[in-house]
Amino acid sequence: MAEVTISALVKVFPNGARAADGLDLTIRDGEFFALLGPSGCGKTTLLRMLAGLETPTGGTITLGGQDVTRLPPGKRDLAMVFQDYALYPHMTVTDNIAYPLKVRKVAKDERHAKAREAAGSLQLEELMERRPGQLSGGQQQRVALARALAYPTELFLFDEPLSNLDARLRLEARTFLKRLQTDLGVTTVYVTHDQSEALALADRMAVMDAGRFRQVGAPLEVYQRPSSRFVASFIGSVPMNLLPATVADGGLRVGSNRVPVPAHAREHVAAGDEVVVGARPEYAELLAEPADDALAGTVAVVELLGTEYLVTVEDGDLSVQATAPEDPGIGSRAWVRLGERHTLLYRADDGELVDAPRAASARDQMVAAG
Amino acid sequence: MTATARTGARAATPATAARPPVVGPLLARVGFYVFALVVGAFFALPVLWLLTAPFDADPTLSVAVPSLTLSNFAAMFSNPYVGSSLRNSILLSLGTMLLVVTAAALCAYALSRVRIPGRDLLLYILLLFSSVVSGTAAMVPLFQLINQFGLINTHTGVMLVLAGGLLPAGIFILKDFMDSIPPSYEEFARVAGASPLQTLRDVVVPVARPGLAVVAVWTIVNVWGDFLIPFILLRSPDKAPAAVVMFNFYTEGGQANLRLISAYSFLYSIPVVVMYLFVNRRYGFRFYGGIKR
Repeated sequence: MAEVTISALVKVFPNGARAADGLDLTIRDGEFFALLGPSGCGKTTLLRMLAGLETPTGGTITLGGQDVTRLPPGKRDLAMVFQDYALYPHMTVTDNIAYPLKVRKVAKDERHAKAREAAGSLQLEELMERRPGQLSGGQQQRVALARALAYPTELFLFDEPLSNLDARLRLEARTFLKRLQTDLGVTTVYVTHDQSEALALADRMAVMDAGRFRQVGAPLEVYQRPSSRFVASFIGSVPMNLLPATVADGGLRVGSNRVPVPAHAREHVAAGDEVVVGARPEYAELLAEPADDALAGTVAVVELLGTEYLVTVEDGDLSVQATAPEDPGIGSRAWVRLGERHTLLYRADDGELVDAPRAASARDQMVAAG
Repeated sequence: MTATARTGARAATPATAARPPVVGPLLARVGFYVFALVVGAFFALPVLWLLTAPFDADPTLSVAVPSLTLSNFAAMFSNPYVGSSLRNSILLSLGTMLLVVTAAALCAYALSRVRIPGRDLLLYILLLFSSVVSGTAAMVPLFQLINQFGLINTHTGVMLVLAGGLLPAGIFILKDFMDSIPPSYEEFARVAGASPLQTLRDVVVPVARPGLAVVAVWTIVNVWGDFLIPFILLRSPDKAPAAVVMFNFYTEGGQANLRLISAYSFLYSIPVVVMYLFVNRRYGFRFYGGIKR
């Protein structure tokens, strides 16, 4: 078991791309940590640097208090599951799982016993003599997991291990993975571009963009209070409403409507400020009657989500989504109340959350610009 | 021919003029079959000769129904150089094959995995030169080079020159195979703690085995059929391979000894046919080298 610390980590590729731009992070012992971001944001590069498959341009990585920045991958005591599983097509499941033990010069009987033990916990006993080509995607994924479990490690690294599975299997594998990690208590770093996976699995998560962490925190915190418009637009299976607005007469003018300024932001904005109102459709309320502080429009699209409907209400250029228990019917008039308690304000210029005086965020802005 | 004429005549009548799309393709198809038949016969004749002449008591250069006999083979085996030449051919083929497969596998692996500027250019230049190196144009310098090394009239010299000529194309074919092996295979081995050589032995070579087999068979077939290089670099007739020995089969009158040549050619072609069947059976004859997937 080990704590992972990275400080001032920089990775610049020969073509000039900065995949890591001064990253600082501590991943606690036994923690399930998710790295989330769009493709090309540097999350996989960071994982590969932790594994030792990429050499950082600058900065240090420590694993369990030991500086491993220049250590080859084989000496780091970690296990990695690749996106394509990297199962060897010429070996049986047994030999695949036992391969890391073979490299460690464990005797044949012992390593086969270890492989069976690891496979047993993943319901693979029946498949031990098959080759990867004869397995389904879900079975291959479990073999790849078993291979990581078969030898003692300080750290698990997962590189989008579920992205090659179909949707239903992915949900099952997710639950399974979460239980497995809780049982083993091994520090885990999990790379994904799927925000729902990160929210579901992680103890803490980092949202990355352009080689930098945009927000680090517990999933609930990241979900409820995205620290920037980028994070807000990235997190949530239903996209957050992001509506351009202007501060005027103690309220916000959104299109032709007026909504109140959220309490936590009231002190930090002045009349005339350009902002973006962020409100999750799940917290917004769909009304059939006109109401104060609600956005008026016409129902344009209704989508069934399962237990409720996602309703898109349009008024000119303005489009806002809300969830509703009933289908209001396309074309009917509707009013959307955003739910003040969960409404967030972002500055229109730099996209940062409005929750502190401008002066405090100026430092972050300089870091971002530099 | 009559079929073509008849369909042509029918196409002219007004009743069938309403459906020309049927006649056009039919004509094209008949024409294609006739063309294929002529081309096929052209290539089949030498093979037919090779099948009939060895068993003919008095073979000529034409394909004829043979007056069956095995005396040609008896005469061939009484020739002192037949046994040794086949042995030499096998030795040269296998030796060159080992050299080419080993060196090409290491080179192709390195070229596939290491990013160096101008890598593809280097490969194309190598490929271009390979046809020159073992070709006729370089015969004099090659002879002098081997002479300097003191390798004239040795099988080692012949193997080195042949391997040198075949390596670039071998590397080119194998690099494509190596490129198709996902890097994650080796990365997993690295994370597990395997050394580069261990990775090569446990992962890369077994996965690239079809490619290695292709290069091995291709090398053997090439060496088996090569005449010029052993002819020039080997002096004593007991070291000459089959292709060179066949060149010396004359009758006392100075005529080509067709009885001996036909029987020997028959024997000489068997290994290549056997290897074709082996590759075909094992790999379905998918020669994937050079094809981008």
